[in-house]
Amino acid sequence: MRSAARGLALVLVALYSLAPFLWQIVTSLKPAHELTSLPPLLPSRIEFASYLAIFSDSPLLRAVVNSLIVAGGTTLLALVIGALAGFALARLRVRRRAAILAGVLVVSMFPPIATVSPLFLLLNALGLHDTLLALILTYTTFSLPLAIWLLTNFFRSIPEELYIASRVDGCTPFQSFYRVMLPLASPGLAAAALLVFIFSWNEFLYALSFTATTASRTVPVAIALFPGLHEVPWGDIAAASVVVTLPLLVLAMVFHRRIVDGLTAGAVKG
Amino acid sequence: MATDRRNREERATLFLAPAGITLSAVMLFPAVYILWLSLERRSLIFGTPQFIGFDNYLRLAHDPQFWNALVNTVYFTVVSVQGELVLGLLMALLLRRPFRGRGLLYAIILIPWAIPTVVSARMWEWLYNADFGVLNYLFQARINWLGNPVWALHAAIAMDVWKSTPFVALLLLAGLQSIPRELYHAAAVDGASRWTMFRRITWPALLPLILVVLIFRTIDAFRVFDSIYVLTGGGPGSSTETVSIYAYKLLFQTLEFGYGSAVAVAILMSVALATVVYAWLLRRVSP
Amino acid sequence: MIFPFGRILLLCCALLIACDKPAPDSPSPTVSVVFKHSKLFGDSSAFDRLISEFELGNPGIRVERQTLPSSSDAQHLFYAINFQAKSSAFDVLAVDIIWVAEFARSGWLRDLNHLLPSGELTAFFSGPIRAVTYEGKIFAIPWFIDAGLLYYRKDLLQQYGFSPPETWDQLVHIARTIVGKETELYGFVWQGKQYEGLICNALEYIWSNGGDVLHERRVVLDSASNRQALEFMRDLVVSHRVTPDFVTTDTEETSRRVFGSGRAVFLRNWPYAWNLFQQEGSMVKNKVGVALLPHFPGHRSVSTLGGWQLGINRNSLHPEAAEKLVKFLTSPRAQRALSLAYGFHPTRKSLYRETELLQAQPLLGQLHDIFEQARPRPVTPFYIMISQVLQSEFSAVIAGVKPADMALQSAQTRVEKILAHGD
Repeated sequence: MRSAARGLALVLVALYSLAPFLWQIVTSLKPAHELTSLPPLLPSRIEFASYLAIFSDSPLLRAVVNSLIVAGGTTLLALVIGALAGFALARLRVRRRAAILAGVLVVSMFPPIATVSPLFLLLNALGLHDTLLALILTYTTFSLPLAIWLLTNFFRSIPEELYIASRVDGCTPFQSFYRVMLPLASPGLAAAALLVFIFSWNEFLYALSFTATTASRTVPVAIALFPGLHEVPWGDIAAASVVVTLPLLVLAMVFHRRIVDGLTAGAVKG
Repeated sequence: MATDRRNREERATLFLAPAGITLSAVMLFPAVYILWLSLERRSLIFGTPQFIGFDNYLRLAHDPQFWNALVNTVYFTVVSVQGELVLGLLMALLLRRPFRGRGLLYAIILIPWAIPTVVSARMWEWLYNADFGVLNYLFQARINWLGNPVWALHAAIAMDVWKSTPFVALLLLAGLQSIPRELYHAAAVDGASRWTMFRRITWPALLPLILVVLIFRTIDAFRVFDSIYVLTGGGPGSSTETVSIYAYKLLFQTLEFGYGSAVAVAILMSVALATVVYAWLLRRVSP
Repeated sequence: MIFPFGRILLLCCALLIACDKPAPDSPSPTVSVVFKHSKLFGDSSAFDRLISEFELGNPGIRVERQTLPSSSDAQHLFYAINFQAKSSAFDVLAVDIIWVAEFARSGWLRDLNHLLPSGELTAFFSGPIRAVTYEGKIFAIPWFIDAGLLYYRKDLLQQYGFSPPETWDQLVHIARTIVGKETELYGFVWQGKQYEGLICNALEYIWSNGGDVLHERRVVLDSASNRQALEFMRDLVVSHRVTPDFVTTDTEETSRRVFGSGRAVFLRNWPYAWNLFQQEGSMVKNKVGVALLPHFPGHRSVSTLGGWQLGINRNSLHPEAAEKLVKFLTSPRAQRALSLAYGFHPTRKSLYRETELLQAQPLLGQLHDIFEQARPRPVTPFYIMISQVLQSEFSAVIAGVKPADMALQSAQTRVEKILAHGD
C-alpha cells in the first residue's frame, strides 16, 4: 500500500519535472508550420530538420566545447579552493569564523547587472578581453560562496572524533584533509560540483558581456544568437535546448552515485 | 602551547588563502566601484559626473517605482522560496531510499535546474501563451496567464518554483545521506513512529543545511532578473517589475549609472537584512 | 576521485586557453575593421561575398564581422558596457534607430556629416535622416528601414464585400462583422506587451489622431486627442471586443503566429512577416493583403519607423577605413544585394523602382509609400527614458489598471521631469 503510494508520488514528480521539457522535445520534432497549432499535440510527422539546422549553420558545437572548458575549469577551481576553505572553517581553529563566512556570503549578494560593468573594466585591464579564462575567473569567484558554505557544512557534519583520531595517528592537517575528510565529504563535494557546473554552463549575462567572438562564446550566448531581427526559430531553439541539456543530465546520473551512495560504502562511523 | 595555537592559526590561514585571494582580487574593485557610483550623479546623457553624497538614496526613498518593485520582489521571494523548500524537501525524502532506476529519476528531477534560463524562460512564455500555449489547451480555457496584472506575478513564481526545486532537492538529498543510519535503527528499536523519527532525528540534523539552502535561494530569488524579464518584461502595468529589472533598466537602458548603482546597493542591503533575519530566526527555532 | 580527472582537465584547459588567442598575422599593412551587427536571418554566404568584394576593392583593409544577439535590449546592454569602458574593440556598429541621438550626445559616435553631403540626403527616406541627425549633424547612415503596416485577410474581406479599412472605426466594423459570422477567429491582433513594441503600436494611434509626445521640446502628452487614442486601444479589447485580452503578452512573433495560423482578420506588424506568410505550408499563403494603417477621421495615417543605421565608434583606431566600409555598405549596390538575399528594405528610395528588386519582392512597391509616411519616434537623447515611462503607463491602460486620462497626466509629469533634468 505504502509502496504503491510512493510509486505514484515518484511518477508525479517525474512528470512534473519532465513535462515542459518533453514539450520542448516534441516541438523540436514538429514540422515548421505546425509549431503553434494545437491540435495537433503531437507532430504529424517527425522531422529532424531543426537538429540538422542547429549544427550546420550555427557555431553551437564550438560553443558546447567552450562551455565544457569553462564549466569544467570553474568546477575544478571552485571545488579545490572551496574545499580547502571549508575544511579550515569547519575543523581548524579560525578566529572570526562567522565574520569570514558572512564576508564570503556578501560576494554573492551583489546583483550581477551591477557588477558586470566594473568586472568588464577589470578583465580588460588584465588583458583577458574575449577569453575563456575571463569567464572561468568570474564564475569561480561567484561560485565560491555557495561552495564554501556547503562544504563547511558537510565537513562539520563529519564527527569531530574522526578528525582527532586521524591527527592522533600522526597526520598533518593537510594529510587528514586529503586522506580522511575529503572522501568522507564526497556527497557534499559531488553535490557542490554538480551545482557549480550547472551554474557555469547556464550563465548568460557575463558570458554575453565578456566575449565577442565565436572562439570564446558559450552555449547560452550561442542560443541567444539564434533569433533573427524579428523571427524566432522556435524549432531550432527547442532542438538546441534538448542538445545542451543532455550533457548535464549525463553528469547528474554519473554524480548521483557519489551524492547518494557515498557514505554507505565502507565508511567508518562512530 | 601558544606556538601550537599560532601554528594552527597559520595553517588555517594557508587553507583560507586561495579563497581570500580570489575573492578580493576579483570583487574588491567592483564593490568599491558600485558604492562610489551610488554616491555620484553619473549619467552620460546628462553630462559630467558629480559627487552628490546620499542624494541618490534620498531619491530612492521617494521613488514609487522602486517601492513597487520592492514589494513585488519581496512577495515573489517569500512565496517562491517557501514553495521550493517544501517541494524540495518532499522530493528529497521521496528519493532517499534506493530503488531501481533512481539514477534516472535523479537526473529527471534535475532537468528544470539544468535547462539554461534563456531557454526555459522562453519555453514557459510559450507554455503560458493564451492562444497556442499547452496549458490553456490542457485546461481548455483562455486564461490570460501573463497578461493579467494579478496572474502574471504568480505565473512567474510558478516558473521559478519549478526551476529551483531541484536545487533544494539535490542539496537536501546529499544532506540526508549524511545522517547515520544507526540513529534510525536505535529509534526504531525504541518504538518511535516515523513522524517522531523525522521530528527528532531528520529535521534537527538537516536544519543547518536548510539554513544554507534558504539563504542562497533567498539571495537568488531576490535578485531574479533574466527569467521574469523574458517572460513579461516587467509588465503588464509594471506588476512583475522586480528590483533587479528596475536596476537593469536604469543601468543599461536609461544609462543612469549613479542612481542605478544606488538601487543595486539597496538590493544588497535588503538581501543582507533578510539573511540576518533568517539566521536569527533559525537560531531561535533549532534545538 | 576528483583529482586525477581534475589534472587532466587542467591540462586541457591550459592547452586550449593557450590556443585561444590566434597567432598574430604576419606583419603586413592590413588594417582590421571590426563590424558589430546583429544576426542575419538566412544564409550568411551572401553577406560574406559582399564583404569579400569590399576587401578586394580596398586592399589593405580586412573586415571582421562579429555578431550580437538580435534582441535590441541585449545589444544596448553590450554597447553601454563597452562604450562606458571606452573600448576600441570594434569600429563599425549597427545602431537601432532610437539610439542615435542618445549615443551621439554621450559622445560615442563619430560625426559622419561629411559622408552625406546635403545633395545626397534626398536619396534616402526623410524619416531615417531625421532620426540620425543630432544638433544638425549626421551621426549614422541609414542602413535598412522598417515601418508598421496592416496585414489583412483579403480572402475574408472579399468574401464579405469589404475593401481595406481607412479609418479605425471601419476596421472595427469589418472585424466585428466577419468575426460574428465565422468561428475561431480574432478580429485584430497587435503588440501590447510592456516593451518597446508597445510604443511603436501606441504612437500609430496617437499620431493618426493628430497628437504627439513632444512638440518642439514641449511635452504634449496630456491632450484630448491622445486620450481618445489610448481609450480606443483599450476599447478594442473591452467594448469592441475585436482584440483578445492576451494582447498584453503579445510581441511581434506571437501575434504573427496567431495571424499566420489563420486565426485573425487583421494584424499590425512589420514587413518581415510577409515572407513568412507566403512560405510553403503556411495556412494563409496567398490570402494576405497589405495596407497602410488606418487613421482617425480628419487625420492621416502614420506608421512608426524602425530600422538600423551604421555608425562608427568614436574610439575606433581606424576611422578612415571604417568610413569606407560604411559608405560601401550603404551604397545602392550593397543595399540591393542585401535586399535580395535577406529581404532587408533599402533606405535609398531609388531602389524601389528597380524591376529586378520589384520582381523578387513584389511588396516593395507598396512599401515605398508606407515608408514615405513613416515617422521616427521622438528624436531625443532621452528617448529611452521617455519610452520607459510610456511603456509602464500605456501598458497600465491596456491592461485596465489605470484609466487613460490618469495615465497621460502621470506620463506628462514624468516626461517633463526627464526633460527638465537635461537642461
